Amino acid sequence: MPLTNLPPFAADLVADLESLGTERVDTPVIQPAEPFLDMAGEDLRRRIFMTESETGKSLCLRPEFTIPVCLRHIETATGTPKRYAYLGEVFRQRREGANEFYQAGIEDLGEPDAARADARAVHDALHVLANRLPGVPLAVTLGDQSVFEAVVAACGLPAGWQKRLVHAFGNQERLSRLIADLSSPEPSGVFGPEVERLAILGKLDDEAALAAHIDATMEATGYSTNASRSPVEIARRLREKIELASTRLDARTLSLLTGFLSLELTLAEAPAALAAFAGKAGLALDDALARFDARVAALSDAGVDAAAITYRAAFGRPLDYYTGLVFEVTPKGDPAVLAGGGRFDRLLTLLGATDRIPAVGFALWLDRIAAAERGAA
Amino acid sequence: MTITIGLPSKGRMKEDASAILARAGLPVVAVGNDRSYRGRVEGRDDIEIAFLSASEISREIGNGTIDFGVTGEDLVREGLAEADARVEFCARLGFGHADVVVAVPEIWLDVDTMADLGDVAADFRARHGRRLTIATKYWRLTQQFFSGNHGIQLYRIVESLGATEGAPASGSADIIVDITSTGATLTANHLKILTDGVILKSEACLVRARKEAHAGDPVVTDIVGRVRDTLR
Repeated sequence: MPLTNLPPFAADLVADLESLGTERVDTPVIQPAEPFLDMAGEDLRRRIFMTESETGKSLCLRPEFTIPVCLRHIETATGTPKRYAYLGEVFRQRREGANEFYQAGIEDLGEPDAARADARAVHDALHVLANRLPGVPLAVTLGDQSVFEAVVAACGLPAGWQKRLVHAFGNQERLSRLIADLSSPEPSGVFGPEVERLAILGKLDDEAALAAHIDATMEATGYSTNASRSPVEIARRLREKIELASTRLDARTLSLLTGFLSLELTLAEAPAALAAFAGKAGLALDDALARFDARVAALSDAGVDAAAITYRAAFGRPLDYYTGLVFEVTPKGDPAVLAGGGRFDRLLTLLGATDRIPAVGFALWLDRIAAAERGAA
Repeated sequence: MTITIGLPSKGRMKEDASAILARAGLPVVAVGNDRSYRGRVEGRDDIEIAFLSASEISREIGNGTIDFGVTGEDLVREGLAEADARVEFCARLGFGHADVVVAVPEIWLDVDTMADLGDVAADFRARHGRRLTIATKYWRLTQQFFSGNHGIQLYRIVESLGATEGAPASGSADIIVDITSTGATLTANHLKILTDGVILKSEACLVRARKEAHAGDPVVTDIVGRVRDTLR
């Protein structure tokens, strides 16, 4: 393998990103590890290269650019909107491919018009790819977590279930298993002997009394009542769990959910299909669908052909921080993701920004683009 | 070829491991005094014994610097990535029983399964401004079990090298992943094991490094055969 694997087209790609009205940023290769583990979860630890500073601080080699770019934005406090572009090496232990490879991309922070910013992200990714891979037919898959959230909410499901469903979204297998669990006639939920004892004593009926009992037990057993889960939190969730144990997902809601999740059609047809779904199901999805339609309109304003994009209702990306749009671009008939992105409206607040900063972005895999280029040559 | 067996260098595990080998007709004697870290098997010039700490045994087997070892399955699976590809568990020896379990405070009356824990973890940051924390020395087993088996990603591990059971009460972590044999320490610390929270039922095992040179080596076959016969 060559010592540097920067593809020869890197300079042209940087010029493309610049022509899209972005400001180039660079970030240190060595990053604090905490934000990545916090945002992406502990599982990431196995896949990043970690080390420690002399003072015991956890550090890692930059595994991606979104978090470093956002952190840099928060530190420099230069205000929004901002369009940042980057190109540089990232480091991840992958099952296939090299452990260090180049990524480029755009992070669009603070644009108040979400539809416009979403459309621009998809447009920019396709624009850059088309310039690098002329003649390679591309497939775009698009999903929207917020539409699923709206469907689940409009179905009037218990809050505990909504959270579980939304959390499993994007992972087909987990979501199907969860829906099967919720609709199975078997009563769900396991309760310990102490809960049964409290039930016999009638101590579960009143939340305040239950919380007081939990509080007293914690005091007596030397558990702090404010270091971790509080008595009220435990009491509330226990009552919620008891209620859910006897509730089942009814046949109608089950068919609504599975019907929605099986939707797959061109983005051009999606607004009408979603409206028809909402009408037939009698669900109030107006706000979510208005945002969805506005994005489709913004895409055609940006010159993107919605008929060439596949909308899949069940499509999500396996990262907790996406909040709305998600999309991926591959060569047609090939699973290699050349570009992937989405909207992450909560991330900057979680990273410490004092203002709410809506954000959308995408990343390009330069090694895969180079491979697709070689395949086309 | 001389075959090296790594045995625990002290305590109950050392006695039990030596006893099994003695019953298998492989009596272990120390070289020099009985504090020595090298040993041999009486009448067998083709076997060497290395007395090592239990966690060293799993590491040395992973490296292939020793051929066999007697150590806990938990240490091998925690110490080695893709353990089954690198080592063979030849025999379960019936001592050193310990379960690696997920335990939460007893007072979490609403949490009895991993699914409950998944719900709590998903909500944790919104409520507490931080992730759910797990005190453990079993990083690998915890990650595999939580992410691989149960799809739970949203937690943080805090390393704990001793008195892990005390972490939830002291506030240094919310829950623990630890070994337990009788459950007495967990109960004393007001912790309960989740009904589907047993990650691994561990015991002492005769473990072999998967080395090509072992194929067709009569000494290797002999050791495995003798130990297995003893356990019948």
